[in-house]
Amino acid sequence: MPKSKNEISKVLKTLSRRKNIYVEYEGEEVITWCHGCGNYNIQNALKRALTLEGFKYRDVLHAYDIGCNGNGSDKIGGYTVHGLHGRSISLGAGAALGNSGLKIIASGGDGGTMSEGINHLVHAVRSDYPMLFILHNNHNYGLTTGQASATTPKGFAMNGSPDGVVVKPMNPSEFVLGLNPTFVARSFSGDIKHMTKILRAALKHKGFAFVEMLQVCPTYNKATPQEWYRDRIKYIENLKKYDPVDPDAAKKIVQDFEKEIYLGIFYQKKNQAPFQKRLPNREGIKTSPHEEVKNFNISKFLKAFE
Amino acid sequence: MERTVIRIAGESGMGLLSSGHIISRALKDLGFYIASEREFPSLIKGGSSNVQIDFSTKDIRSRSNKIDIVVALDRAGLLYHIDMIKRGGILIHGYERHHLIPALKEKAKKKGIKVLYLPARQIARSLGGSSVMVNMVLLGLLWRVLGFDINNLKKEVKHQFASKPKLLKIDLKCVDAGYKGKDIKKIPQLEIKRNKKAPKKILIDGTTSIALGAIQAGMRAYYAYPMSPSSGILTYIAATSHETGVLVKQAEDEITAAQMMIGSMLVGCRAMIATSGGGYDLMTESVSLCGMNETPAVFIIGQRPGPATGLPTWTSQGDYNLAIHSAHGEFPRAVIGCSDPHSSYELIQHAFNIAEEYQIPVIVLSEKTVYDTHLTVDHFKHKKIPIKRGLVTGPKELEKLQSSDRYKITPSGISKRWLPGSSPAYYYANGDEHWESGELNEEANEAKIMIEKRMRKEKTLLKNLPAPKIYGTKKGAKISFIGWGSSKNTMLDVIRAYKTKGVEVNYLHFDYLWPLKADAAKRFFENNKNVHLIEGNYQGQFGQQIEVKTKKEFKGKLLKYDGRPFFFDEVMSYALKH
Ligand SMILES: Cc1ncc(C[n+]2csc(CCOP(=O)(O)OP(=O)(O)O)c2C)c(N)n1
Ligand code: SF4
Ligand SMILES: [Mg+2]
Repeated sequence: MPKSKNEISKVLKTLSRRKNIYVEYEGEEVITWCHGCGNYNIQNALKRALTLEGFKYRDVLHAYDIGCNGNGSDKIGGYTVHGLHGRSISLGAGAALGNSGLKIIASGGDGGTMSEGINHLVHAVRSDYPMLFILHNNHNYGLTTGQASATTPKGFAMNGSPDGVVVKPMNPSEFVLGLNPTFVARSFSGDIKHMTKILRAALKHKGFAFVEMLQVCPTYNKATPQEWYRDRIKYIENLKKYDPVDPDAAKKIVQDFEKEIYLGIFYQKKNQAPFQKRLPNREGIKTSPHEEVKNFNISKFLKAFE
Repeated sequence: MERTVIRIAGESGMGLLSSGHIISRALKDLGFYIASEREFPSLIKGGSSNVQIDFSTKDIRSRSNKIDIVVALDRAGLLYHIDMIKRGGILIHGYERHHLIPALKEKAKKKGIKVLYLPARQIARSLGGSSVMVNMVLLGLLWRVLGFDINNLKKEVKHQFASKPKLLKIDLKCVDAGYKGKDIKKIPQLEIKRNKKAPKKILIDGTTSIALGAIQAGMRAYYAYPMSPSSGILTYIAATSHETGVLVKQAEDEITAAQMMIGSMLVGCRAMIATSGGGYDLMTESVSLCGMNETPAVFIIGQRPGPATGLPTWTSQGDYNLAIHSAHGEFPRAVIGCSDPHSSYELIQHAFNIAEEYQIPVIVLSEKTVYDTHLTVDHFKHKKIPIKRGLVTGPKELEKLQSSDRYKITPSGISKRWLPGSSPAYYYANGDEHWESGELNEEANEAKIMIEKRMRKEKTLLKNLPAPKIYGTKKGAKISFIGWGSSKNTMLDVIRAYKTKGVEVNYLHFDYLWPLKADAAKRFFENNKNVHLIEGNYQGQFGQQIEVKTKKEFKGKLLKYDGRPFFFDEVMSYALKH
C-alpha cells in the first residue's frame, strides 16, 4: 500500500490524541467471528476512520444486515440497529432522511446486498441517500454455512452447489458504476490502512457512498483466501494518470477480477446535492424532520371542504 | 321521503368526479347531509363508473341501493342503470340513439320510470362546448327535477371551474340550457323538504381525513408504493407537502417503504405508510422486526377484496385476520379500524401515540368505502388529541440512563425509549433475541423472560384502550349488531330509521380491534337477547374472535363479500327478517 511514512505517523498521532473517542467504539460483547475472519479488520478500520473524521459514537447510527457481518451489530460501541436480511440499506435510508444530524452507516453481505435486497441498492444509488454503505463481500453466504452467493466465482463448489457454481459471478463495484453513482470505492480486509483511508473519504461524501470490502472468509471461502488477493491486488493510487471523475475509466479498471484487482476510489462526483436537498418542498427548512414532530394545524386545509 | 338517491353514471373521463363534487357541494349549501361514493371498475369494458349521492335533511352515513334518479352520461350508463333504478324513478340521459334500444322503453314502462332525454351533446356543441360538457347540460336538468334554484348549482360550477374562466362561461350556459329542458314535454319535479339552516359542517372523505390526521399528529415523512385504494393518501400528502414540509418518498417497493418508515421512526421522525393487502403482505417481515426490536411503526391497510389482485377498486373488510395474525413469531401489536372521516382523522393520531408509547407496530385498517365516501361531518379539531411519544427527552434523565434501560424487564412490559444519539447510553435495536441493552442473548431463561416482557405490553395496552361504543339503546334491543369499520355508518342510519318506527335496534362498534376488549362484547350479549354480526367478509373473521373470546354465539351473521359496502336497505330488511 503506497503511503509515505509521514502520512502514517500523522494518522497514528491523531488516533492517539483521540484515543478517548476511539475507545468508546469498543463494544463489551464477546466477538463470535471465526479466527482470521476479515470482519475484524473491517470493523476496526471503521472505528479508526470514524475517530479520524471526528465522529463520536453518539453521532452515528449503524444499520446492520443479517449475516456474519451483521453479527458485529452488538460488538461495536454505539447505537446500532440489526434489521432484516437484505434490508439494511432501506432502513438506513429512512433513518438518514428522518434525522439528518446522524451519520448513517449501513452494511451488508454479498448475499443480502446482491441477491435478497439488490433492488434497494439500485434505488439507493439512484436516490443518492446521504449515507455510507459498506459491502462485506466474502463471496459466499457465511452465516448460513457457505452457500454460493451472486459473487461466488464460477466453477467453485459450495454448500448446496457441490458440482460448482454454473453461472457467472457479479462484480458489485462494476454493477454500481453502471447506476450513475456518486461514490464507488473498493478495499480489502487484509489492508487496514487502506480501508481506513477509503472509509474516511466515504464518510466525507455527502450522498450515497458505496464501499466494497473484499473480505476473506477462511472458513467457507477457500477459493479466494488472503494469498490469492495478495497476488492480484493493485492500487489505483499508484496509477499516475487516474482521476476518479471519469466514469468510463472507472468502468474499465473495475472489470478485471482475475488478474489485476484494483483497490481505491473508482469514481466520485462531488458537489451533487444529496437527496433531501433536492426536495423543493423542504427548501429553506433548517430543521431535521425528527425535530418537527408536533401538532400541525390543519385548519387551513379544511376550508376546501366547507 | 327520508333520503333522495342520485346516481351519475358514465365512463371515467366524462367528468364524473367533478359532477359529483358540484352536486354534493350544492346540496350541502342547501343544508342537506350527504353520503356520496364513487364506484369504478378497474377495467372499463362495458362496465360503467358512477358517483352516487344520497342526501337528506337528517345526518345520513350510508348509501341506499334504491336509486331515485339516474343521470346517464353515456350509453353504458344508461343500459346498466335502467335495471338499478327504483320503481317510479327518473332517468335523465342524453343518448341520441336511445330509440334503437327497445328494451329501454319496455323496462321503463314496466317499472314506471320517467325517462327524460335532452340532446345534450348537440346542446353543448351549439353553445361552443365539447362533448365532455354533456354532464353540465344534464346536471342542469337534474337540478330542475330536484326543484332547486339554478343559482345554487351555478355557484358550485363556478367554484369547481374557477381556474378555467373561458370554459366556465360555456359550462354555465350548458347548465342553463339543461335547466330549461327545451322540448321535454313534462318535466317532473320532486318536492324535497329542506332544513331551515345549513348546518356548519365539512364534506370530506376518509382518504383526506386520515392524511390530515397524520399531518396533525406530526407525521413528517411519508413513504409509499402506489396501490389502490390507498394511493389517494400519497396524492393528498404530496399535494399539500409544500405547505406542510412533509418529506414524501415513493419507494421502489413496499418492503422499502416499510423499512424506510421504520428507519425514520427509529430515529424519532414520525413516519407512515399506506398500502392494501397485497402490499402489506410484502411488509410483514418488517412488522415482525418492529415486534422484536420494539420500534414504533404505523401501517395502514386500505382493504379491497382479495385474494391476489382480487377486486382492486371495490371494498372489503377481509383483512382482519391478516392484520391480527400477520408476520412470524409472537409479539404484541395494535389493530385499529377506521369507519368514517372523523374516526380516520382521530384514530390515526391515536395510532401514532400507541405505536410510540407501547413501542409496537400498529396496523390501521381502512376500506375502499371508508376512503371514498364523502360525509357531512363536524369540523376537525386542532390539538384535541395530544401527541404522546413515550420518549425520554429530559437532558438530566438522558444523562442518567443505562444501556440496559432500553429493554429493561418491567411489570408493564414497557421499557424506556430514547432516540439514537440522545443519551450517552447507547443500545442495540436488535432483531435477534437479546437482553436488556439489546445485546444478543440465546439463553433459554433470558429468551423466555424477554418474550414475556414484550407480550405484557399487550395486556397493558388492553387495559388502557377505550371501550367499544354502543349506538342506540344500551339494553334490550329488539335486534342488536356487533361490527367494526364501515358497518358503523349503515348501522347508524338503520338505528335511526327503526327508532322512528318505534323499534329499538342497537350496535356495538369496535374501533380497537386488537387487543380485543371482549368483556364489553360479553356484557352486550348479556344485555341483549338477539345479537347478530355485521361484517364485510365471508368468514365473519372478527365475529369468530368475538365468539371465541366471549364464549357466546351470534344469533345470525350478516356477511357481505361482493366488493360493495352494506347498503342501508339491505340491513333494514335483514333486521326485519331477524
Ligand atoms: C428473509 C431471510 N432469508 C434468509 C435468511 C437466512 N440468512 C441469514 S444470513 C444469510 C446470508 C448471508 O450471506 P451474506 O449476506 O453474504 O452475509 P455473510 O454471512 O456472508 O456475511 C441468509 C440467507 C434470513 N435471515 N432472512
Ligand atoms: S464464516 Fe466466514 S465470514 Fe463468517 S465469521 Fe467465519 S470467517 Fe467470518
Ligand atoms: Mg457473504
